[in-house]
Amino acid sequence: MTRTFWVATVVLAFTLGASAGTISGKVSGVSGESVVYVDVIQGKTFPAPAQHPLIDQKGLMFTPHLTVVQQGSTVDFLNSDSVAHNVFWTSVGGNKKLTHNLGTWPKGEKRSFKFDNPGAVPLLCNVHPEMAGYIIVSPTPYFATTDKSGEYKIENVPDGSYTLTAWHEGAKGQSKPVTVAGDSKADFTLSK
Amino acid sequence: MLNHRRISAILSSVVVLLLLCGTSQAIPAFSRQYGTSCSTCHVDFPKLNDFGKAFKDAGFKFPKDDESFIKVPPVLLGAPANKELFPHSIWPGTIPGLPPIGLRYNHFFQVVSANRNNFNLQNTSGDPNQSQFIPRTDFQTGLFSIFMAGNFGSDIAFWVDDDLSVGGSGQAGGLGDGYLKFVNIGRFLKLPTDALSLRFGQFELDLPFSQARSWNLSGWDIYAQPNIGAPGQNVSNGFSLDAAAQGVELSGGHQYRGYHYSLAIVNQNTGGTPGSGASVPPVVGFTSDSNFKDLYARFSYRFNLERDPASRNEIQAAGATGPRDHTYLSLGTLYFYGRSVQRLAGQDVNNTPIVITAREPFYRVGGDFSFNYHAFNLFGQFLYGRDQNLLPLVPNGMVLPIGFTAGSPAHFSGGFLEADYLAYPWMMTILRWDRVNSTADFLNGIGADQNAPVAPYLSPVSSVRNRITPGIQFMVHANIKTSFEYQIRPKQIVYAPGTSTPIISGFRTNSAVAGLEFVY
Repeated sequence: MTRTFWVATVVLAFTLGASAGTISGKVSGVSGESVVYVDVIQGKTFPAPAQHPLIDQKGLMFTPHLTVVQQGSTVDFLNSDSVAHNVFWTSVGGNKKLTHNLGTWPKGEKRSFKFDNPGAVPLLCNVHPEMAGYIIVSPTPYFATTDKSGEYKIENVPDGSYTLTAWHEGAKGQSKPVTVAGDSKADFTLSK
Repeated sequence: MLNHRRISAILSSVVVLLLLCGTSQAIPAFSRQYGTSCSTCHVDFPKLNDFGKAFKDAGFKFPKDDESFIKVPPVLLGAPANKELFPHSIWPGTIPGLPPIGLRYNHFFQVVSANRNNFNLQNTSGDPNQSQFIPRTDFQTGLFSIFMAGNFGSDIAFWVDDDLSVGGSGQAGGLGDGYLKFVNIGRFLKLPTDALSLRFGQFELDLPFSQARSWNLSGWDIYAQPNIGAPGQNVSNGFSLDAAAQGVELSGGHQYRGYHYSLAIVNQNTGGTPGSGASVPPVVGFTSDSNFKDLYARFSYRFNLERDPASRNEIQAAGATGPRDHTYLSLGTLYFYGRSVQRLAGQDVNNTPIVITAREPFYRVGGDFSFNYHAFNLFGQFLYGRDQNLLPLVPNGMVLPIGFTAGSPAHFSGGFLEADYLAYPWMMTILRWDRVNSTADFLNGIGADQNAPVAPYLSPVSSVRNRITPGIQFMVHANIKTSFEYQIRPKQIVYAPGTSTPIISGFRTNSAVAGLEFVY
């Protein structure tokens, strides 16, 4: 009987500890895709995904224009154009010391880079100054992009208290605390 | 007697030439069509980078996979399958999806040195009409131009540019270039790609450095140099290399690598007076003033100097942090041959009045180089010009000439050397040295810059005229530019009217010019 009680208690505790909720809401004040992610969780690290997201340079554009990756991810950069391209960024998360230039490579070839620092990475090409793209490096695997109406949903977030950050191209980022217990709501109003 | 109208004409010509020499053109139409910045093709518009040169060579197209870059699809003037029906269908072409129109406007401000009114020392009468006041500072309206360019499919490129107004006047504009270029027609002869193209219309000759699309505020003196004989010579050749030519050109090769050539047959009009057609009304008018067609030839070879063959042969070099212009040395030569025509009143041996015609062969021959290392470009041009001099032959006892006899030829030489350094992508520093050596100009008192002939009032003090021109240009945006230029002009002299006695010793009328221009 005592043994059964303890087993049940452990199972219940495990179940409760592993319970996950959903954060949803709306980003307003801006139009187009925004990114919402759970910011750094103190004392918690996440294994880097094995999958390499791909960003293509095609038709003098970064495709996709906006990519969200988890911290530690390796991103592949492909040149599909028959003209030379370059990829560089001036900062990561506003930190200009993290500027980097990947150089030049011809059509059909890729170069890769592992993003170990969280934040927004503005991608540029020093040959075609009109080209712009963004990588948002999320410190956690809990992130989402909004749909056309600004709605987003981040699923499978463990219950707890976090800082939620919203980002939109050209707008001031915004962070707010959120407590996840089942389904939670968090709306943002961003401005440029 | 002071001829103030001449001086006025000179000063006006300085301003107009300054404006005309700055007829630079970048092509916003291409920016719209491809959704790309001006800097994709230009270093400091309209100066082309290596990719811009390749784009131009290809007939205003991306050299490879052009269609994959076009953001505004062209309008089909026939489905491509119509090619299969030819000759029972019109060969299908395209027109740009957007009207390929670009516009340009510029404005100037100039400051002229304090000795600018020295020429008024000739006026001792106190008559204000005998003096020409030159302001110390002046705002000057420049050009408002329209230019259109693109590709009609089947590798047929077009270009038309026209100055809608010059100097604020809506009546002073004119056509610059207007041509069709049939690119890579050598494919029909199984020649290597880009070995042969054909251009037809009005165009600037394939000069090593385009005067019509110069990025400098003032043009290179040697390209604007005519050849007017000294007193005692019968040479009056108004031709200069920067003049628009009408004709046909065969060309081939590339501007960004290897060989490039141009062979052109163009109208001759050294006197500036075409046939009137009063008796034989032409269908479309006349431009030539003689039967002969002038010939122009240019050949150049560019050595890209990167060690890596792959990088060396690409349109742009693979720099450590991104594509860039090649490190290169380009060497070239040009040759122009024509016959300057002069028609004079003469007589035959029976004293019957006739028109006698002198056809004076002339040529211009030159060499040029351009060396580029990253953001530094050093280039230069040397040119030598020679005109045969046919003197009217008036036998004893006759009043009018019956023909011509050979005299000493009229010649000139000179060139320029220019260094451009792109200190930042938005700032280019420039240092130029222009030089013209013409004894005839000196004796004629032809001005110390690009002025119209006048004597003996406004003259260089030497047969060699040097002009040093430092400058700097800033790109406010990729389509807005401010330019500054300080012209250290050759020394001039003012003579007492009707004499060769100087009133004042040599002086320079230096001037500073600022330009603001935008294209859209």
